[in-house]
Amino acid sequence: MATILVVDDDESFRIYLVTLLRQAGHTVLEADNGQTGLDLFTSAPVELIITDIFMPQMDGIDLLAALGDHHPRAKVIAISGGYKAMNPRLTLDMASSFGAIDIITKPFQAGTVLEKVSKALESTDSKTERES
Amino acid sequence: MNTVPEYRELTDLQKLNEMKQELEAGFSTVLRHYQAGILHRPERIRQALEEQDAERVAMESHSLKSVCRQVGLMPMGELAAQLETMGASGCLDQAEPLIEQLIASSVQGNHELNHFCNGTTLPRPFFEKGD
Repeated sequence: MATILVVDDDESFRIYLVTLLRQAGHTVLEADNGQTGLDLFTSAPVELIITDIFMPQMDGIDLLAALGDHHPRAKVIAISGGYKAMNPRLTLDMASSFGAIDIITKPFQAGTVLEKVSKALESTDSKTERES
Repeated sequence: MNTVPEYRELTDLQKLNEMKQELEAGFSTVLRHYQAGILHRPERIRQALEEQDAERVAMESHSLKSVCRQVGLMPMGELAAQLETMGASGCLDQAEPLIEQLIASSVQGNHELNHFCNGTTLPRPFFEKGD
């Protein structure tokens, strides 16, 4: 089981993900914007971040960019329903280009989330070890 | 002439059942949070429209769209998507009737979700053809 950080400004989705991941046995931290998420990440041993893309203050792309600059080994799954009539796929492709290792489209199924989380945690690429 | 709209349920019950099975004990708590969004966000969108704040109309509608689609309120999600597009384009001329529809849908949708959560069937449609 792992420590996972959920970043989403929408309380409903945050509660959904937190509930789901805790039921699966993970320790879950939560933040309602990218900046709080970044602060939590730098102060706790987080193994995986699940972040929404469109949020006020620091959004998911800014969070990915900040992590890429200072914590390049951080594992991030991006999640979005698309914005401003933009195809959610394009939004998430953008997240991938900023370093997200996987993407989830809203609306999602719990099984999909758990499967992608397991896959991300099991991956043993260069992002497995957190930099000190 | 009958002007009362034909009743149709707004909720995709299959989607909701899947969510219930997946979340098990946590389902009721999670659904209550979604219901809060469904009830309150349309009013926030209306306030943003009154202030002619197109960006806020887009952001609030974006959030509502995702919330509705997650719990199977697809027609309401479509209304929110249309408002999101209007807000993003900065053209809010046609937004008011959509918001009125959205508010009416939120009441009906919330009613349906309550019945689902309580394990009861709807006592009668909100609108019946020929009422």
